[in-house]
Parts: sequence; structure tokens; C-alpha cells
Amino acid sequence: MTNMNKKLLIVDDEAHIRMLIEQTLEELEDEGVEMFFAENGQDALELIKNEKPDLVFLDVMMPKLNGMEVCQKVKKELGLHEVYIILLTAKGQEVDRQNGLDMGADRYMTKPFDPDEMLDVATEILIGVK
Amino acid sequence: MTRNGDQLILSRILKSLVTRDSASIHLLETITAGLNIRFSVRANGSLICGEELDGDFEFILEEDACEYGKIICDSSEGKIVADLIKSLVKKEFEKKRIGSEVLGLYREINMIYNFSAMISEKIDDISIAETALKEASQIIDTTHGSFFLLDTEEDEVIELASFGENPNKQSVPGQQNILKGLISRGTAAIVPSKLVALNPALNHLKSVMFAPLKVKHRSLGLVILGHENEKEFTAAELKLLTTIAIQSAGAIESAQLYQKGLREAREREEAIRIIHEASQKFVPHEFIKSLGKERITEVELGDQVEREVTVMFVDIREFTTLSESMAPKENFFFINSFNKRMGPIVRANEGLIMQYLGDGFMALFPKGAQYALRASVQMQEALKEYNCERISKNRTPVKMGVGMQNGKLIMGITGDVLRMDAAIISDTVNTAARIEGLSKFYGTSILLTKNCLDDLTDASEFNFRYLGPVKVKGKEHTIDLYECIDGDEKSLLEHKLVSMNVFERGMDLFFKKEFAMAAVTFQEVLKQHKEDYTAKLFLNRAAQLITQEIEDDWKGVVAMDKK
Repeated sequence: MTNMNKKLLIVDDEAHIRMLIEQTLEELEDEGVEMFFAENGQDALELIKNEKPDLVFLDVMMPKLNGMEVCQKVKKELGLHEVYIILLTAKGQEVDRQNGLDMGADRYMTKPFDPDEMLDVATEILIGVK
Repeated sequence: MTRNGDQLILSRILKSLVTRDSASIHLLETITAGLNIRFSVRANGSLICGEELDGDFEFILEEDACEYGKIICDSSEGKIVADLIKSLVKKEFEKKRIGSEVLGLYREINMIYNFSAMISEKIDDISIAETALKEASQIIDTTHGSFFLLDTEEDEVIELASFGENPNKQSVPGQQNILKGLISRGTAAIVPSKLVALNPALNHLKSVMFAPLKVKHRSLGLVILGHENEKEFTAAELKLLTTIAIQSAGAIESAQLYQKGLREAREREEAIRIIHEASQKFVPHEFIKSLGKERITEVELGDQVEREVTVMFVDIREFTTLSESMAPKENFFFINSFNKRMGPIVRANEGLIMQYLGDGFMALFPKGAQYALRASVQMQEALKEYNCERISKNRTPVKMGVGMQNGKLIMGITGDVLRMDAAIISDTVNTAARIEGLSKFYGTSILLTKNCLDDLTDASEFNFRYLGPVKVKGKEHTIDLYECIDGDEKSLLEHKLVSMNVFERGMDLFFKKEFAMAAVTFQEVLKQHKEDYTAKLFLNRAAQLITQEIEDDWKGVVAMDKK
């Protein structure tokens, strides 16, 4: 099975989190998944418009345009329903959860995230097997 | 990371750089155009970039003596390209290595984070131990583990949880002392492999490390991890184990405090229950319940409730005479032995003993006369058995009088804030006491009023004789009295049943003022059984009245002036 066209976007304002997610999902690159990165909501929105990634890991707490707003714009305004969005929120801020789902997010994950769970989820969504 | 692993990562980076990374691709294109050379890149035996060249120049791509690809070029200047690629790959490789280390640390943080959350919810030692070992084995490469706790009360080390097969589990002498020593030392360590081999408890393992369960300065136990293969535990792994051990120790201490609190709460509850039970013996629960309260502690001075009940007085006949023949202590034993037999009968008929009166007691029957009368008959039966026992021990048999009245009474709490008691205030109580007193006069074993008779739900359960009206001291109205004969001694009961009609005729004649005829009739009854004291009483009364002048409004009321 070829996944040459699969695209993954990682959005977080903290460089080390982007690096961690990249490292966690590294083996997906062998499957032909292309990785993109953005460090704020605005860049993320541009990338989503241009690249139409299959999966986005989207941090909620970001300056300028936060994850919730990006999510809302993508799902509600641009109508890009095929972009699978996973919101990342710090533990203890679970109140965001319903909010996030209301904004059209497909899934929700807490930080610190469990690397194995993240890889499983991404693999399932991008490659279709767990 | 292994050599093979490195090689795989390096070739993956190479492939990514020359095929996907647009910045690197652009850089390479610019340089090759400037140098006017052509090149191709091969990795793992296949071409990954450029065209198949029959170039003369080949440059090995390697990092720290690990070959991960080569450059084929049509010019010796391909070396520049090779050096550039090597340098780019090296940078990326280092970045990835750091990333991988950071991810490793992140996994640890995540594990500890989850572990803390998990064990803080546990309230028992064993599940804390099991969770600790499970988490440790997931993050540390290990095949064996044990979680020990020192039971300070028993001075014994207990294994709460373990994993991995341990052939030495049972049979190693002195192991307890070794474990106690390690626990009291309270430091973590990696055991040198030479010592592992020498220790009979560990010789199924090749490498071992342990960490104490420390809370402040105390050491509660020990966690040991081992591996059955040659493997050196690292300082980082020991640090992780120590962290898990510290977290576990804290959780175990909280769990123990929690269990202790729970135990103490249970003990307190038990103590309260015992006090509650004891207090019920002094103030019956039924009484408290009647006041609408559950516990004696809820009762307040002035609480009261009005109820319609049957009040019963029970009295040991001729107790004064009887007690003169006994020492005070003997007397007390006698009373207790009597009360011990009667109390359960009262309760079995849903009555409550309100007060012990020395030579008897007062009981209340909230469910009415049917229950009170049933209890009376049963008590007379019990007394017969008790008398058999007394006779066999050469003791004088005793008699008991029972009297009862129905009516309203107020149950309440009286006294003052420092000394309270359950009390009942009612005219019914006075009357009931008087009726019991009359039972001696009439020679009956159970005496009741018309009020009681009217209260019966099933009068056919018992046999009665009407004894006429009485006027007790301090009362305006007369009271009709009945005797219940079912508690009488067997032959007397049979006599009273057989002579029932004759007796009733006698009473009828008596109240019609035909005293001569009444006397003859009672004489007839008495002839059949000398101990029919009631018949004897009416015989005497009739005989007396024959010679007396009788007033027109004579109703045969007995005026009882004494108490």
C-alpha cells in the first residue's frame, strides 16, 4: 500500500514538543508520510489551506490564533471536513474538551501525551491499521 | 543504539535529504550546476537519487565508521558533494539522536506522571506494589521483579508482588535478614554481577538492582529488579527505579494511614454501637422510637408523646415474707432469676419493661391488651416451671399477681439537663398498679379491667370470669373487673372452666341482692375446689350481706381504700 500522498501537520508553539511529536511519529516517514510543521495558528491555517493534510496535531494554547480558532476556521469556515484534527491540551484543562469537539475537532489528546498511543492513533488514521 | 540501527537511521536521513528536503535538494543542485558535474546516490545497494552513472569516482558516505551509502560522480569534485552530504546527514543524525534521547526522557516523565496519578488512587498495598512493578517493567528492560514491604509489627519482610519465575523463592535461608539489612540501609544500588552469582537467592539472575521504599527518613521496604540475561543496569535505570520506589513509598504510607483511619473509624463505630446497645438495656429502644428518635443521644429533655397502651404491673406475692428468709445477696439473685425469666416473654409479645420495682415490674404493651394478656398467661406458665425447679431445690414456690389497665399515657423525658430519665405520666399507670394490688384481694392470677377486655382483638383466645365493679381510692368512677383464668394452675383452671356457669349464676344472684341464694351457689363452686379464692370471697360477702340492711342504690361496688 502506498501512502505517498499522505500528509501530516504538527502545530505547536514549543519547538521541543514539535520535535517530540516528529520523533514519535518518525517511522511513518518510512511509510511515505510527509511531515509539515507550524509554530503558530496563522502558519498552520496557511499550510492547511495549501497542503490539505490528512492529519493535524493541533496544540490549543498558542499565541495569535489558538488551536480552537484554527479548528473552527478549518472545519466551519473552510469546510475542510476531510482534514482529521487532533487537539492537544495540557492535562487538567479538560474543560476544553467539549469546547474543542464543538469547534469540530475529531479527537482530543492530553499533554503529556503517551507516545505509543499517539503513534497508534496516527498510524490508524494515515495508514489504516493499528 | 546498535550499529545496525545507526546504519538504518543514517540511510533514512540520506534518502530524506536528497529526495524530500527541498532546501538540501536546492543546495545540491546549485553546487553541481556551479561545478558542472553529475552525480548519483546509492544506499543499501539501490539507486535513490540521480541517474545510473558509469562514473569513475566513488565516494563512501560514512559516519563514525558506519557506511550508509555512496556517491557516484563523473568528476573527482564529487568529493565536495559527498562532504556536503555527509555534513548535512551528520547534523540531521545528531538532531535525531538528541530527539530520540528527549523522547526517551519524555516517555519516562509520562510514565512517572501516569504512575503518580495511578497509585495515588490506590488504597491498598498490594495494588500499589503490582502497579509499581508493572510500570517499572514497561520502562526498564527487566525480566524479574519483587516488591517487599517490612511489616514492623511482625518484624517480617513480606513480598507484596513479583513477576518473573523465581526458583529460589522458598528455600533460601537468611534471606529475611538480608532483606531487612537492605531495607534498613535505605540506599539504592546496582549489585555487581560477581555478587549476584554468589547470592543463592539471586543466582537465577545475571544482573540485579534495587531501591528502597523511602518516606522521609524511614524505609518501608524494597523494590528489586533483575534480568536473567547478561545486562548491565545503568545509572539512569537505577534513578528511574528509585523514583518509582519513592512514589510507591509515599502511596503506601498514605494507604496505610487511610487503612488506619478506616480501622479507627470502625472501632469508634463499634464502641458507639456497644454503648448504644448498653443504653438500650436501660431505656428500651421502643421507648426512644416512640418519641420519634433513633438513638438515645438524640433524646432531649421535654420530649414527649401520647400513646394508647396497655399498662401491666407484675408483683411477686408475699415478697416481704419471702425475703425475710433470705440474705440480701440471695434476695437479689432470686429477683434477678425471676426477672430473667419474665423479661424475654414481655419482649416476645412486643412489650417493653418500663421499670423494675424490686418485687416486680411495670411493662407497657403498645400493641394493646391482646399482647399483654398473652404475655401474662405465658409468664404464669413460666412461673410454674420456675416453681418446679425451686421445689426440686427445696425452695418455697412463689406466686405472682398480674394486673392491667388500658388507656392513654404520656411517654417522655423528665429530669434536668444533667440527670434525665425516661418517664411515663398517666392515670392509667396508677390504675394498673391498683388493679394489680386487687388481684391479691380477689385471689386471681391475672386481673384486668373492662377497658382491657374491650381492647382485645380476639377475646375467644382466653377465658374470663366477671368479678363485678370496684371503686379504687381517689377515683370517681367504678371499674368493672375480670379475671383471666388461663394462667391459673392446671387443676384450678379446669375447675373454673367446669364451674363457669354456676359461678356466673352466683354472681348474677349476688348483684340481684339475692344473697342467700348467691351464698349457696358460691358454696357449690367452692366445694368443687377449695382454692377457688374468688368464689370464697363472694361466698363470704354474700353471707355477710344476708343479715345487713341493703340500700336501694346498692350496686355491689367494692370500695378499695387501701392502695
